[in-house]
Amino acid sequence: MIRYESQKVARYYLGLALILFCLQVAMGLWLAINYAFTLPQGLVDVFSFATARAIHTNTLVAWMLLGFMGGSYFILPIECKRELFSVKIAYLQLLIFAGTAVTAVIGFLFGWTQGKPLLEIPVPLDFLIVVAALLFVANVAMTIILAKERSIIQWMLLAGVTFLAVLYLFGMPFFKDLNVDYYYWWWVIHLWVEGAWELFTAAIAAFIIIEVTGVERKVVEKWLYVETGLFLFTGLVGTGHHYYWIGSPDYWLWWGGIFSALEPLPVALMVLDTWMHIRERKNPIVNPLLWTYIMGLALFHFLGAGVFGFIHTLPPVNYYTHGSQITVSHGHLAFFGAYALLNLVVFYFAMPQLKGIEKFDDRLGVWGFWTMVTAMIFIGLIFGVAGVLQTYLERILDLGYRTAQMNMMFWFRAVLFFGAIFLSGVLMTVYHLFTLKKAAD
Amino acid sequence: MTGKTAKTIFWLGTLSSAIIFLWLTYDFHQQEPKFAKTDQINDQVVAGKKVWHKYNCNDCHTILGFGGYYAPDMTKAYYRLGENNIISIVMNPELVYKDSFRKMPHLGVTKEEAVNLVVFLKWVGTIENRHWPPQDEKFVKAFRLREANAQKLDKTDIIMGACGGCHSLETLGRKIAGDFNDIAKRISYDKDTLVKYIHDPQSVKPGTAMPPQNVSPETAAIISDFILSLKAGKEVQK
Repeated sequence: MIRYESQKVARYYLGLALILFCLQVAMGLWLAINYAFTLPQGLVDVFSFATARAIHTNTLVAWMLLGFMGGSYFILPIECKRELFSVKIAYLQLLIFAGTAVTAVIGFLFGWTQGKPLLEIPVPLDFLIVVAALLFVANVAMTIILAKERSIIQWMLLAGVTFLAVLYLFGMPFFKDLNVDYYYWWWVIHLWVEGAWELFTAAIAAFIIIEVTGVERKVVEKWLYVETGLFLFTGLVGTGHHYYWIGSPDYWLWWGGIFSALEPLPVALMVLDTWMHIRERKNPIVNPLLWTYIMGLALFHFLGAGVFGFIHTLPPVNYYTHGSQITVSHGHLAFFGAYALLNLVVFYFAMPQLKGIEKFDDRLGVWGFWTMVTAMIFIGLIFGVAGVLQTYLERILDLGYRTAQMNMMFWFRAVLFFGAIFLSGVLMTVYHLFTLKKAAD
Repeated sequence: MTGKTAKTIFWLGTLSSAIIFLWLTYDFHQQEPKFAKTDQINDQVVAGKKVWHKYNCNDCHTILGFGGYYAPDMTKAYYRLGENNIISIVMNPELVYKDSFRKMPHLGVTKEEAVNLVVFLKWVGTIENRHWPPQDEKFVKAFRLREANAQKLDKTDIIMGACGGCHSLETLGRKIAGDFNDIAKRISYDKDTLVKYIHDPQSVKPGTAMPPQNVSPETAAIISDFILSLKAGKEVQK
């Protein structure tokens, strides 16, 4: 049922992404165990929390990027009405990217690291990532240039991936000054998730909504322009909400505070337009699970990134919550709500087509979706409770770090419990995606 | 709304925000040296920063509030812990946190690396970041007070500043390696042996859990006098 032969390359990207997704969540569970129990010194010496966290976050970025790239390769031929520019480049790029990711994870186990949180990959491997990214951007750009028809989604996608690749460079140099180091660290982290990745998400969501609902392209593209415009308007200066406490001029409090407080706006618009397009659909609902995922993405994106981000973005609040478990709560809800669900929307859109299935049996997938979503809401809320408690104990009652953490132990164990449920939801979803079958009539 | 209006909104929003952001970035570079005291970044600070990266400290600890949340924030650690305590912890975490509910890995940090790390953390502590984190402000204030009145410095300040990471003195310090009052009662060393013990515990008492201390001979002498005076005090009282 795929319309272009070259769409097949997406299969390997999506498959690898799903495997890394499982590894990422399993590692998350291990981190929760580190929090909830006292581990023997001998174990901590050989496999520290720091190493496990580097694997947890890097596999997260790796599977999401693989999903983005595979997703792009799947939708580009349809959007451009032609085959990909080069299938060989697509495979070569996957090989380099996957090889680098595996080497990096093994390297972490032996202490080979750049030592920057989330950007632990050592510089020599960074160069390989850059090569893979350049190949990808070139392949996407050539496919679009050679297309007979131009569309907004095409160039929005290209802008997103180019922006994404360029920003990665700011995480590579060694800065002598910690302050400047973190200034540019946020160019990668913040401008990715609240800039480049949002462009990409908006473009892919728009494409899939057009394909699935059959709503007129012109209408969807208008929304796309307004949403991405607002994303970048609020998101670029909104980077300032990370610069309150690094040693910066006072005006950052105002610029960062006001712009980042507006960041939920475009996400709210996304909820609105998704809901309207689904209501005014012209196509019948073939696979209800895909529609559930599309609506789930919009709502959870708003909850995790929008609401939970807004709660602690203003400087007077952030003074107390910065660097506490509240950040952890927001991080989990936002990454799951915005980017894990986006990837799963892409997977549930692409995988049936790659397997030539029109209507798939979705029973296990439905269980997977609701298990993951419910467990993640609990995980987010529990981290939030732990964070409020930590803030109160450490920064209001003035107890030491250790005393505060010991009083949070119940909540760490609760997170471990819901983390295990979340993992079971992930395994159900991944198994379901790998073994999609035609629905019985 | 027409498609053209939507397109205008996109470009207006993106470009205005990009221009403001780039201008703020330019201004940040102009003003940042004043906040971060960049003139004080010397080779040793840079070497210390490399140690910070080499052992991936930042994936358990936060610094400036960024990083892992598994261990305390290090922005003002220099004021909270003091030089000798940081070195002891970094080089011998398995001893310092023997009874702790959460462990720090033994990373094999060398003496030289630990010293550089302290210099780096000392510089980080001087960054003017609006008194964040709030919970460490009391340590910064206490440090500044001691610094301003060095001549009036109480002996207990010197001793607990160097030994308080493990030892306690009544209500001060950590209760890991015993209270100085009990130690004073127990030991039978003279001053020279005690000074030797502080610098190299194994040479005096093989098998002891105490790691070597990185204090100057003068400080070691002050510490020894103090501990021995506790002993005398107790005997006189009796």
